[in-house]
Formats: sequence, structure tokens, C-alpha cells
Amino acid sequence: MSIKEQIKSILQEAEIYRTQGLLNEAMVKYKIAAELVEKNIKQENRQKLIDGITKKIELLKETILKYNDPEITPKMPVEIQNLIKDKFAFSADKESAVLEGAIALSKFGQFERAIAEFSELLRNDSLRLVAAKNILRCHFANSSVDGALSQYEQWLKSGIFHEEQIEKIRFFLENLLKDKGIERELPLADIPGEKAVPEKATFEKSVFEKAPITHIPEQEEAEEDEFLDINSVGIEITDGPQKGKEVVLDVAFQSGKSVSLIVPGREKALIETFKVGLKLNNVQFYSPIAILNGSGVVSAFTKISSGPKMGSYSLDLKISG
Amino acid sequence: MAIFNLKNREIECKVVYYGPGRSGKTTNLEYIFKTYKKQVTDQLVSIDTEGDRTLFFDFLPMGLGKIGGCDIRVQLYTVPGQVQYSSTRKLVLKGADGIVFVADSFAIRRDKNILSLKDLDLNLKECGLNIFKIPLVLQYNKRDMSGMADGSIPIMSVETMQNDLNRQLKVPYFPASALTGEGVGRTLKESLKLTLLHLQKELKWAQK
Repeated sequence: MSIKEQIKSILQEAEIYRTQGLLNEAMVKYKIAAELVEKNIKQENRQKLIDGITKKIELLKETILKYNDPEITPKMPVEIQNLIKDKFAFSADKESAVLEGAIALSKFGQFERAIAEFSELLRNDSLRLVAAKNILRCHFANSSVDGALSQYEQWLKSGIFHEEQIEKIRFFLENLLKDKGIERELPLADIPGEKAVPEKATFEKSVFEKAPITHIPEQEEAEEDEFLDINSVGIEITDGPQKGKEVVLDVAFQSGKSVSLIVPGREKALIETFKVGLKLNNVQFYSPIAILNGSGVVSAFTKISSGPKMGSYSLDLKISG
Repeated sequence: MAIFNLKNREIECKVVYYGPGRSGKTTNLEYIFKTYKKQVTDQLVSIDTEGDRTLFFDFLPMGLGKIGGCDIRVQLYTVPGQVQYSSTRKLVLKGADGIVFVADSFAIRRDKNILSLKDLDLNLKECGLNIFKIPLVLQYNKRDMSGMADGSIPIMSVETMQNDLNRQLKVPYFPASALTGEGVGRTLKESLKLTLLHLQKELKWAQK
């Protein structure tokens, strides 16, 4: 094959790859063709050919850049959002299925709709907290820190959360802000007494009364966890002076349903609480998008005796539900 | 994760088209949608894509009628093939009853096929499924391209693709061209056959 035929063949190949959407492959071929032209074609025809190929390469570069960096996730039509909500919820339990559907919507970047679905779940006493945290996550994932803050303030006023719940939400939101490099102390709930006053709530009282105490079924939650990379785990302290406080620990390592957490040595109250075999019933697993309620069993708890984390403790938690 | 409605004797199962980006998964579904009008029960849902790339998934519901005394409904999905959409692939794969792996016959995509099959294996494991146990069919797509541009497009031989992808799996495979429809129907039929046989073993739904 002559050099001209070779170049022609490579350019044809590049063009087919381009039309097939194999842009990187097309780019490689155009570059090879350009090199061959540079080295082998006579002066009078060379520049014209190289200019043509360079133009193709530049266009390809632009397209590749566009594909690799999509500006935002496109908003889907309502029918498709409904399809996602329906087809990506696997639980037989209706409320758990709504939660899964809302999580799926957020995973597909349909944050507005996901927020609307999570908001419906605020009516359910047992899912209210997890729904609220997911709403905040959605605001953050949608680059709307202000949205999250204004939502929090709205919840403070609405009185739909118990004091204990709003405290957890505040702590959670402060951590989200910290992750964004924003240090901010959020206002506390101004609720007299121990609990929020249900009469002030925006939802009918009957909704609370009727709401069954449902949790995400064990199987479904475990499967969901396998899907998600858990970044941190929220554990409620059940004993001692800090009883009721939620502590969020970062995940050092995850393998399937087991997560290894680092407990800083200064967390004395927490350290005293943990023992191998201890069942933690109110654990929250935080992934980049979704938060799941669940439980876990402490499978190992050892003091780190060397390295930069010396003095801290390594806690292995087996997710059990 | 098929849904078996015992009372109405209905089975709804899920088949996922998997494979590297631009291998022709969506084109398979488009051909099925055009060709099997009797069986297709609703529109092909293909979410708006950037430059024909699937960002999320495609969805095509089909009804196969009564088999073994049961009304069989099948939902076909595609996953986004591009590497960066890993979490979406996992999500779409969840609950799959059968898989069609669409490989690209272009020699230049050889590594991408292998990587995508490994990715499938990994993602199935994460869903608690096993690539050796789930009903799986391979499709070697774009065979029609070998006749293009005076043969200037290097296409892998079926033997090479078998050696790369099916040496251990030993599952049914079909050379195909999703663009012309060659092999598309056979791939789908084999996948449905394997999937329903598998479900019969698991659920014992068919009446004898």
C-alpha cells in the first residue's frame, strides 16, 4: 500500500470512528494520519491536508470536552421521573418503597422531585428524620447550600420535628456545611419542654397517629448499602451523660456490609460505650447522596497502638439491618 | 428479581443490556421496538442523551403472552456504557433476571469490551448475583462494519471475541448488527429463553 493510500485508509477509519461516536479512537487515528502527512507528503499539498486534519482534531477535542464535563444533569419529564420512582423501588412495604423511589430519583440527579418525595415522607414519624436528612443532602448535591439553610429554618418554625430530631438535623447540617468548608453555628430549636408541640405541626394529627412504625426491611436496606459507598456513620450514644447525642464517625474502610470506623481517643464517653457484640439499633449510614437508617453489631473494637492514629480506636461495625 | 403474582399468574422479569459505551445497546432496543410491535406494550423510553450517549437508561416493556399458564411480561433496560456512569449501571442492574452483554466488534474496542465485562462481574457481585449463574447471552455487534470502507476497519474475528470474553463463561453468543437487525432477535429470544428457564427453576411457575 502506498503512503497516500495508507493515509487515506487511516482517515477513513478515523471518520467511521467519529460517526460511531468513538471520539477518542477517531482522535488517535487523525493524529497518526497527521504525522504521516507531515513526514511523507510533499510541501505543496502538505499544509492543506494538515490544516484539514487539524480542524477535525479541534472539533473532536471540543466535543470530547463537552461530553466529559456535562454541565448539569438534565431534568427529566415527569413521566420518566414516575417511571424511575416506580421501577427502582423494590420493597413490598409501601412507605419503604416511596423512600427507595425518592433515593433513586436523587441518584439520577432529579433533586427537585426527590425533595418533593422526601417531603411527603416527613409525615411518617419513623421515616421523618431520614427523609429530612435526605432533603438536605439533595439541596447540597444540587449546589444549593442556601436552600438547605432556608429549609432548616423553615423546619425550626414549623414544629414538625421533636427537639431531639431537630438537634440531630442541626448537627447533620453543620457537618454538611463543614464538609463544604463553611463553619457556621445554626440556630437551636426554640421548643418549650422536651418535645415539639404536635398541635403546631402542619400535618394532621391523625397522620402521625396512623403512621406505622416501619423501618426499611432488613434485606432491602442491606442491599442498598451494598450499592452505596458509606462515607460516614452516625451512631446514637445510648448510655452515660451524652445519652441521645449522635456522633458521626468517618469510615476508614468498607468491605461489603462491614465498615471500619475510627473513634478519636478524646471521645471517652463513646469509647466506654463500645464492646464487641454490642448491638446499635439507631445507626445512620451516610453515602454521598442518600442516608439510610439501620442497625449494626460491633464486631471488633481495638486501640490503635502505632502510626498517626495512635491512641484512637478502630471500630468494626457489621451492618445487620 | 422477577415479580410473580400468584393470584393473577403473572410474571414480570427484567433483562438488562450491558456493554461498553457505543457498543449498540440502545440500537438493539430501538430495533426490537420497531420490529416486535405485537409484543411491545408501550413506548421505548430513551432518556435525552448528549450526542447519542445514554446518560441514564433505556426502558422497553414487552408482553410475551401466556407461557406455561402464566402471563409473561418482560422489561428490557440498557445501562449507560461510559465508564463514569458506574453508579447508574449498578442501580439499573439491581434486580436483573437476565443479561445481554453487547460487545463491540471493532478491534480498537477490544480492551473496552473486556473491561466492561469485568465491570459487569463486579457489579453483579455487589448486587449479590453471580456472572456464572445469571442467564447471560453475549452479542458481538457491528459485524456489518467489516464490509465498510474497503475493509479498512479492523474487526475482530468471532474466535478472538470468544477467546477474550467467553472462554470461561461458555454462554450462548450471537454475531449481530443492531443497525440492520441481524442477530438482534436471536439474541433476545435466547436471553428470554434462558431467563424464563432460570425463573422456572427458581419459582416453579409453569404448569405441567
